[in-house]
Amino acid sequence: MTTPRRLSNVPELLLPLWRTLPWRALGAAAALGLLVAGASRLPAGFSPWLALNALRAAALAFALGLAFLLDDPARHTTATVPTPRPVRQALRLALVAPFAALWWTAAVLLVPAEVRPPVGAVTLEAATVCALALAGAAAAIRRTDEPEPGVGVGAGLLTVAVLAPLLWPDRWELFVTVGDPEWADAHERWGVVLTVALVGCAVWAREPVRRLRVRSPLT
Amino acid sequence: MTSTVSASGLSLHYGGTRALDDVSLRLTPGVTGLLGPNGAGKTTLLRVLATAVPAQRGRFTVLGHDPGSTRGRQEVRRRLGYLPQTPGFHPDFTAFEFVDYVAILKEINNRAARHREVRRVLDEVDLGDVRGKRVKKLSGGMRQRVALAAALVGDPGFMVLDEPTVGLDPEQRMRFRELIARAGEGRTVLLSTHQTEDVAMLCHRVLVMAGGRIHFDGTPAELTARAAGRVWSSAERAPDAKAGWRTGAGTFRNVGDPPPGAELLDPTLEDGYLLTLDGHGLAVTA
Repeated sequence: MTTPRRLSNVPELLLPLWRTLPWRALGAAAALGLLVAGASRLPAGFSPWLALNALRAAALAFALGLAFLLDDPARHTTATVPTPRPVRQALRLALVAPFAALWWTAAVLLVPAEVRPPVGAVTLEAATVCALALAGAAAAIRRTDEPEPGVGVGAGLLTVAVLAPLLWPDRWELFVTVGDPEWADAHERWGVVLTVALVGCAVWAREPVRRLRVRSPLT
Repeated sequence: MTSTVSASGLSLHYGGTRALDDVSLRLTPGVTGLLGPNGAGKTTLLRVLATAVPAQRGRFTVLGHDPGSTRGRQEVRRRLGYLPQTPGFHPDFTAFEFVDYVAILKEINNRAARHREVRRVLDEVDLGDVRGKRVKKLSGGMRQRVALAAALVGDPGFMVLDEPTVGLDPEQRMRFRELIARAGEGRTVLLSTHQTEDVAMLCHRVLVMAGGRIHFDGTPAELTARAAGRVWSSAERAPDAKAGWRTGAGTFRNVGDPPPGAELLDPTLEDGYLLTLDGHGLAVTA
């Protein structure tokens, strides 16, 4: 038997993987996000504060859809194929990334230019929330036997999103408004959280060769 | 005979539970049955050997490759077919598309050759006629055969089948046994099951597992022979029997140490299995 070149199956894999993506959840989350972002166009809510928080809420809505990205009903059937799990997860992310970029562009453009927050900063916040959703999904896949952990991950993300503004220490403030003297510092902190989330994604995507700790008992 | 799989000292603990406790075994071509009660560690052993879960201690090789390294695991997976206890599918895929998807994941990259291989395995499991049907429209038995086809794709040298006949009706079970027997020709198959009939009909060798350890390793005939002279019939439940149950004829079938003058019965594989469990201090359901 000849050994196939590493990752030479990626081109053939793209179409079936595309079909396995949770488009229904992503579509619903994207639609909800656009509705929320569009709320900033309501005459009564024409304020920079509302625009900023509408975009934050829109990003959260989309991230809730991304929590389903790694759901795979065939997880157990394909558990021992030679194509590594990190590759399959990275391909899923790569397939959904252009859709996510288009969606975010549309969401930002829905906010009137005169009240639109700095796009770079708010994009950093959105990317962080999405990365947290993906890290949660990767962790759930790595640490449980659940093939479709999206609902639980989404619920966890929503809980964190509600509690974080209430419980997050003031000296590490993240949720500041435009014009706040802490704005730049807060976004440095957003950058740190994004980095941590991306590292989490990378670590939890890996398949363990040697078992260190076990959480879920098997029969 | 050369071993396809060689394992020594495999251990895996979950908190205080020993799912695998110093398991050593060698598997050779043919179908080997793995019997054991719920919680015996059968699925854990299968998942370890299928490289789905790494062991905490011990080593094993499959077809000469050690999955203890990333490269070794890749090599093992290229030669492995795995049918999990609860196979899942992408329900909107057709049977052909699903097996083709698994074939791509198994790095069969040439499309024409891959499609030939997918048609071959679907024909092998008698699903050639419904290969264009969506998986969600197939019966439970057909889905199980789709999962078997996915395990067979790429002609693996080692197959791991975890309770593949659970939930199938008797006709489907017979059909599935035939497919497994065919799969076992020329390759090594490890079959976990609760059905002693599966083992009796399919396996050249049987392992009995309980408490994370292997308590018997031999042929089905040897396991059956363990109960020779230790199965008897009685009108009432025998109080000293290791296990006893009422038969359809209204008498009791007992296994254990028969009283003098008892009416001895021919032993079955199940009797040998029950006595093996009891001989290791393991509870036997009466």
